[in-house]
Amino acid sequence: MTKLYVDGDRYGGAPASVLVEAVHNSVRDLVRRRLGESGHDWGTFVFGSANDLITKSDFEAIENRILATGHRFAWSSMLSLRDRPEIYTRADQADDVGASFSFDHPEAAFHTADDMGRELHGVGDNVVRHGANTIGVTGYIRTSERVIDLMKNGVPPDLIAIIDDSGGTLTAPILDKFKGVICAGGTVRSHLGILTREYGIPCLMNVKISGIREGDRVELETSATAKTAEAYQRGEEMTARIWKLLR
Amino acid sequence: MSKLEETNGHPRSPPSYAQLLETNNLMQNCGDETYWLCLTRTVQGSKLFPVSAYIMLSYLNAFYRYPSLLRKIEARMPAERIADRARNMGIKIQNSQLGWCLPSFYLLGREWLLSMGLLRPQDALEDVIYVMDFWKRFQLSWHRNDGHITNREFGHRAQILPDRRLEIFKSDMFPCQPGDELHAAAHTFMATASQYGFLISCESRISLHNSGPYRLDEQHELLVRDFMDLSECSLPWLDGVAANVPYNNLTVPMAVRDCHFSLVDDWGSFESEPAFTSDKLAGIGLYTSDALSEGYLPVGMNSREELTETFRMLNGILKTATRELWTRMAGWSREQLLDAGAIVYFAVIKDLAHVAGIFAVEDWLEIDPRANRFRPLLNDEFGNSVLGELVGAVSLPNQQISPFGMMQHSNRPARVFTPLPYSVLAGEDFVPSSGGIVPGESHLEPKADRYRTTQGLLTLEEYNRRAQSHTPAVCSDDYRFLCETWVKYHPDHPRCKELYRLERAHSRTLRGLEAGRPQ
Repeated sequence: MTKLYVDGDRYGGAPASVLVEAVHNSVRDLVRRRLGESGHDWGTFVFGSANDLITKSDFEAIENRILATGHRFAWSSMLSLRDRPEIYTRADQADDVGASFSFDHPEAAFHTADDMGRELHGVGDNVVRHGANTIGVTGYIRTSERVIDLMKNGVPPDLIAIIDDSGGTLTAPILDKFKGVICAGGTVRSHLGILTREYGIPCLMNVKISGIREGDRVELETSATAKTAEAYQRGEEMTARIWKLLR
Repeated sequence: MSKLEETNGHPRSPPSYAQLLETNNLMQNCGDETYWLCLTRTVQGSKLFPVSAYIMLSYLNAFYRYPSLLRKIEARMPAERIADRARNMGIKIQNSQLGWCLPSFYLLGREWLLSMGLLRPQDALEDVIYVMDFWKRFQLSWHRNDGHITNREFGHRAQILPDRRLEIFKSDMFPCQPGDELHAAAHTFMATASQYGFLISCESRISLHNSGPYRLDEQHELLVRDFMDLSECSLPWLDGVAANVPYNNLTVPMAVRDCHFSLVDDWGSFESEPAFTSDKLAGIGLYTSDALSEGYLPVGMNSREELTETFRMLNGILKTATRELWTRMAGWSREQLLDAGAIVYFAVIKDLAHVAGIFAVEDWLEIDPRANRFRPLLNDEFGNSVLGELVGAVSLPNQQISPFGMMQHSNRPARVFTPLPYSVLAGEDFVPSSGGIVPGESHLEPKADRYRTTQGLLTLEEYNRRAQSHTPAVCSDDYRFLCETWVKYHPDHPRCKELYRLERAHSRTLRGLEAGRPQ
């Protein structure tokens, strides 16, 4: 059996991810096999014959072997799912948005209504401390089709966008029209956090919410202290609350 | 092992001990900062772009192509001279492009290949030394005025500009305050340009840059903000949709009141105390520049009213371009999204070639087949997982070190980048280079032969020709080494006065005035 230089690693163990471990082990097996078959020394192989002997077809075969085990990949770009639905898991599809849909984070805070009729449904990281809390009506925005619809028909003036994409591209054409943003991922320094700060749009990132549905009236505690880099580095909680308004 | 043996046409003569020591130091510094940046600056995701997958593809493209492309650039113009030019304008060879992306993209590609058993630490040895040396020389020259190699070394600060330019930014800027028209127009423009910047860069921040802070007075600081690659340029997806954007690069010197920029990092991001919000904006200016300009050229700076109207006009144009570009991108296939992301990342340093006047589409806008063969592995889940391990968890086997080790910022026995082994000096064999450029491919529409410059819309051939024959006056041999120290002791020297006169040629307030001592 041909041995690779990295096979003699004194300190390295397995990667943390099972998928990464499986893929990397498969690639190492491939390299061992091709090196052995070539009859070349490593110096001739590494940037020479390996360029021809290790091919795209080899990597397609590795992907196919993983898929043959029944594994389906988790998707993050909805266009990845659109183009190759057969290789991605069908769970948590972005078009799961209807009147009854809500993000349901298992650690979402909940408290019954206070004397102002505000029922606590979660918390998030405040991007910028504003002078007052932000009140509006929620709308889930998780697909390019929804963005196109809002581009054509206009963004309601009180819209609090609920997004699970911490990037700045999905909502690029309409972001400046939002009254507020609730983002289920990222940090206050994610691209969406940076952009809402630039626009002056109240925004909570990294929210853990449950039971907030399309069209609910909500209040975001955007008057809370903004979460700092130091708080992230120390792992400190520094959160702002999200209430559903019952009256 | 024979040291005279040849591989890929390169002689196998080992580098010196000093070269290896220095290269490993540069790599370790990059690695420490990579971990800190990835830990503290961001958690990114996109429903549109397969971001992690394209990042991994770009790292491989950088590994296979950067050494050859940098050598090609330096055959025309040395790194330190290009940095002299970069120090006097706001184009896409600052942070994060050169400060972090150049070395880190290359080294992260190397690290991933190491992890898969496709490399040994001593392979591409001369390439690694050369890429890090190029980076070191560029950075030292670009940071010449603050005397550091990175923002990290300066405590996360970047004071790049010379006194003569800062005097103009300060003197020419228009004061503004919340509620006035200029304040509103400038604030809206910067938000829109940031949004557009993330989109043109496929959900990355590499078209945006901040440097500074610079002290204006006890109450005010200056931050210099750059918005780059806005028009029809060397990013093919901007053809058509950005045709009406009249400037490819815009620089906004921004004065803020009662707000200290406590951190400006090697990704070009900033933090401040208290948090910067638009109400702290106290003064503003607007400039453009590129490889063909005499440094910074004012845009709409003749009057407060003209600047207000210019910001409004640009805001409208960028809004339209954002909608059109978003619509184009939303219709792309995953293969196109992957290529665009990988190319915008890989080509983050392409303006080096524009300054040198040797930009070529086949060099910068294609995926090398040696990188492209890995594409079938790059589904969303694997991309996210392997990138997370490589730069976040630092958990790949090749990144683990002796259990006594304590990594900076995490105290774990790990390091981001594997050093070059000194054993090559004891006779262990190595392979010097990954070899030259191989023709590549792309799923994107071919780049139209139109490039927006400060000298108009040019073909690439003409753009390269003009770039090769252009040297801004302050970067010419007559003035290049008249540094801040020399200026300090020669304020009345005729060449000092001429240097300031050249810089002030387009200044609204200082043109024609003789440089004196600061008030």
